Amino acid sequence: MSQTQIPAPPAETVTAVDAVGTTEFLTEAAPSHRRRPPWVSLVSYVVTVLALITLNFALPRLMPGNPIDALLAQGADGAVQNEQTRAALTEYYQLDQSIPEQYVHYLGGLTRGDFGKSTTTNGSVGNELGGRVGWSLLLMVTGMLISIVIAVPAGIHSGWNRSKRADRNLLGLFLTLQNLPIYLVAAAAFTLLVSKFGLFPLGDATTLYGGYTGFAYVLDVGRHLILPGLLLGLDFATYEFLVMRSSMVSELGSDYLLAGRAKGLRQRRLKYRYAARNALLPVVTVVGLQFSVAITSIIFIERIFSYPGVGGYMFQAIGQRDYPAMQGAFLVLTITVVTVNLFVDLVYRRLDPRTSV
Amino acid sequence: MLGVGTVIIGAFCFVALFAPWLAPHPAIDPFGENYQRPSATHLLGTNDNGSDIFSRLIWGSQTTLIVVVFATTMVLAIGLTVGLTAGLRGGFVDTAAMRIVDVFLGLPILPLLIFVAALAGPSLTVSILMIGLFTWPQTARIVRSQTLTLRQRGFISSARGFGAGPWYVIRRHLIPSLGPVIAANLVFVAGLSVAIEAGLAFLGLGDPTAVSWGAEISRAVGNPQILIDLLWLRWLVPTGLALTFAVVGFTLVGVSLEPSFNPRSNRAR
Repeated sequence: MSQTQIPAPPAETVTAVDAVGTTEFLTEAAPSHRRRPPWVSLVSYVVTVLALITLNFALPRLMPGNPIDALLAQGADGAVQNEQTRAALTEYYQLDQSIPEQYVHYLGGLTRGDFGKSTTTNGSVGNELGGRVGWSLLLMVTGMLISIVIAVPAGIHSGWNRSKRADRNLLGLFLTLQNLPIYLVAAAAFTLLVSKFGLFPLGDATTLYGGYTGFAYVLDVGRHLILPGLLLGLDFATYEFLVMRSSMVSELGSDYLLAGRAKGLRQRRLKYRYAARNALLPVVTVVGLQFSVAITSIIFIERIFSYPGVGGYMFQAIGQRDYPAMQGAFLVLTITVVTVNLFVDLVYRRLDPRTSV
Repeated sequence: MLGVGTVIIGAFCFVALFAPWLAPHPAIDPFGENYQRPSATHLLGTNDNGSDIFSRLIWGSQTTLIVVVFATTMVLAIGLTVGLTAGLRGGFVDTAAMRIVDVFLGLPILPLLIFVAALAGPSLTVSILMIGLFTWPQTARIVRSQTLTLRQRGFISSARGFGAGPWYVIRRHLIPSLGPVIAANLVFVAGLSVAIEAGLAFLGLGDPTAVSWGAEISRAVGNPQILIDLLWLRWLVPTGLALTFAVVGFTLVGVSLEPSFNPRSNRAR
């Protein structure tokens, strides 16, 4: 399922994931441990964040037309057409200033958490996003936990039994899943499980006007979370499975396993305590990197399940051509991705002493 | 895998190229009766606008093929130029190009695509341009690393020693040697562009006038009648399958082409 949205991971993070497709896992290449010093990651991170902020600032200004006309065009009151209002709006959006001045002003606003005002609700985009970030995080964390529960045992089993029947079946299953676009799977699941059989609630994160409190509220949230979370989990699991499997396979011929066998250790112990433990490290990286995949997947999932997260907000903003809201959501989503990637990169260094230069 | 993939891609291209002869009905039928059940004239019945679902499936492949061809060409052009320049010139040009590639690779593509497509307005050209502009860095990187290794080879240095100019070396030696690597990479890009185009269309950011599988899926899911008369089985499922098969076809070919040319995986074996 990840096929759609494999956003290439940052160059400095992982080499095993940088093929556009997934072939690295099929070729059973051991993950590369070649890395750059931490400051390169940091500089690269800062450059990427600045690039994102600048893109966010520049793109709308590169488009033809004028934001005020766009505002008027999307059904604002006809009375706003007069010169005075135009002048007021121009001043409000600082359109009378030069581009560099606007840029400085924009950066200043960002540092104060000021994303501007939504053109549909007229509320602060920062506040509106703030209320939604939690739901997105909840969904994402649920998806990740589910994916780990699915992918890690499956990957261990598959890799341990390389080329045997179980491996072929599991590999086939996960490769198929990986090629299914997430929106297709989610759409099908929604149509069948929610609309047709009514097994899950129709969307949103809680029952509207449900009035649940305490434990009942938690249950209600869980009920709404389970299907989107499961789909997201499946989406991540395909990738994690392939990494877990190939990593496991690369441990198979190790001397320590041979020594363990010679000592007469039981298979179970060798499989889980020895091989799997050593093979787990690349998966840690991938789980972190999933965040960038997750960001794109949640846009689709939240849209289909009307989940009140940032992705859904972005989608809604697109539909209403609400530029400030769109920009805010875009910035929050993308900066989260690159920040998490940096974090993973730094954590990985700690976990694997071989990577520190 | 190569065989199956080639057959899928071949069938897909055939359907797309011969759509006008293969499709029994036009993509939009202004006089059609909506929600018809399957019959001899309408194999999968008709949709909410009274258009033949089966025909739209066929017409949809055309949109996909157009995006694949143009986006891939663009990626090839940019990736090859940047990769070759970086690999051959080396020094500052190389460093600068690779830093730019790094920044591009660090950007989350899909949110960016969505953002730009939303700003620029939905159209096929925008989709193609966006896919092309944001997926080239991978190609550039592969071309560069291959160029760097090739440059050290005897036949290139001897050609240079005999006074061959850079253009001659590129045309005569580099491009033919790079061919297979680029081909494998482009097949992936093609599969990726199928998925991205459908994804954008699904979000309502594709060309509203083109028949796109992604948009069809979105319309099918959003349709309140989807559960009546097994409409989902006739509309959502075939469209989803067509899309999946196209993506899988490209992935299969890419996967089977790549290992033999990927120096890293060869080394690891």
